[in-house]
Amino acid sequence: MMSLKKIIWIRGLTTIVFLVSCLLLECPLLLYAAPVDTDKADTIVFETQSELVKQSEEETPEKTLDRYEDAKIEEATTVLSSKEEDGIEAYEDVTSDEIGVVEEQGIADPFEFLNRGVYHFNDKVYFWVWKPISQGYKYVVPEGIRGIFSSFYENIKAPVRIINNLLQGKPKFAAIELGKFLINSTLGVGGLRNCAKECFGIEGRNADFGQTLGKYGAGFGFYIVLPFLGPSNPRDGVGWLVDWTLRPTTYISTDQWFDLQSVGLFVHEKVNDTSFHIGEYEILKEAAIDPYIAMRDAYVQYRTKLIER
Amino acid sequence: MKKSFRIFMLVLMMMLPIYVFGGAPFDTVKMNVGSVLEILGDPKLKGDAGRKVKEQKLEVIADKMFDYIELSKRTLGLNWNKFTQEQRKEFVDLFKTVLKDAYVDKIMTYTNERVNFTKEVSLSETTYEIQSVVVRKSGEVPIFYRAIKKENSWKVYDVIVEGVSLINNYRTQFREILGNNPPETLLETLRKKVGKRQ
Repeated sequence: MMSLKKIIWIRGLTTIVFLVSCLLLECPLLLYAAPVDTDKADTIVFETQSELVKQSEEETPEKTLDRYEDAKIEEATTVLSSKEEDGIEAYEDVTSDEIGVVEEQGIADPFEFLNRGVYHFNDKVYFWVWKPISQGYKYVVPEGIRGIFSSFYENIKAPVRIINNLLQGKPKFAAIELGKFLINSTLGVGGLRNCAKECFGIEGRNADFGQTLGKYGAGFGFYIVLPFLGPSNPRDGVGWLVDWTLRPTTYISTDQWFDLQSVGLFVHEKVNDTSFHIGEYEILKEAAIDPYIAMRDAYVQYRTKLIER
Repeated sequence: MKKSFRIFMLVLMMMLPIYVFGGAPFDTVKMNVGSVLEILGDPKLKGDAGRKVKEQKLEVIADKMFDYIELSKRTLGLNWNKFTQEQRKEFVDLFKTVLKDAYVDKIMTYTNERVNFTKEVSLSETTYEIQSVVVRKSGEVPIFYRAIKKENSWKVYDVIVEGVSLINNYRTQFREILGNNPPETLLETLRKKVGKRQ
């Protein structure tokens, strides 16, 4: 009879052999499949003493101060008068061709009254719960560690991306995501680093089930704001539930779909994620004339773009 | 000798187009964004005084970079025609202030981001989309600029962040107000919003 020790050894060895062979086979393929567009890409980094700074310094200090004062004192119409000189016609009537407007239909929002209520609830939850927790968390947990958590959660969600890429008829990206998962789980030490990206420059493709349904022709339906989770619609809500079943974290403790551990992990993932994005919702709200509509439109545009891609 | 020189020149000329990439809209937007990053990363501008100077410098670049009239027209869509000339002027000015108030603060929080400009896509004869990616610690954010040719220079009239177009987002909000209200109501809403800040 084989001892337990032996079994563990053999299993461990075969796993390592499997992963190494996968790596060796996959890496060159992946590198070939996903070349980084370096020849076209151009990077701007900070160089404190460059021409641009000098240029802007030369022309700014006095001039801007004047402009700044002027704008404060003068009335709106007087400020605009400077523009009139170079084009009164700028303010003339427009045609739809000129401004590239397509007659678009509004989004269905039959439960607007209810949705607005939930939006305000979520708004309060953000300011009273998520934000303070995330701020405290950000203060206590160093950025490096938070980055590790981000990579870990991203990596473990690989099944969601692999399966949805497959369902969307993109086997190449499914393979890339699989390769990413294998590299990050091994060289990236269990997904603690996004080594596929950092070491090999491999770019994956995010995919979710709501998007898959959209690609199959499911429409937006109507807008709905879910408590805690935020903007959604029937299609993406179903998508979210299906994706939940594809997350390995769903199955960590019991065979129930929603239990303390998996929901707890989800909450931690959200808090960790929010710690990188504090202030962004505030700006959306600040910039908006009607934050509810702004949020709804942003969600519609964002999801539509993902499905078109 | 002469021949080899000629060949050398030929080779040199053939190499040139490799380095000259991207057209005028691409370069214009890239340069403007570059100037913004330079100002944000300027170590000499610190504290409250530095912040003020930064704000003013950013405003100068924004005025150079954006065409607020085009931006306003495209945001209002055909509703623009319902406004009188005077109302149009006031709208452009108010909208510009709303945008500045909201986004200058946001941009100021950017400190160590890198921006990669990837490519330009022609949308029409006079409009281009210039694509870029902002690399932050928490991930990458694609930002696309749409620029229009105006009197031989390229001016930005829309910014698309992660697929969300700025002018479309505001159009939806304005349409809600203009649906059953006169332009004056929208102007009043904007006046209030701007007034709150000052």
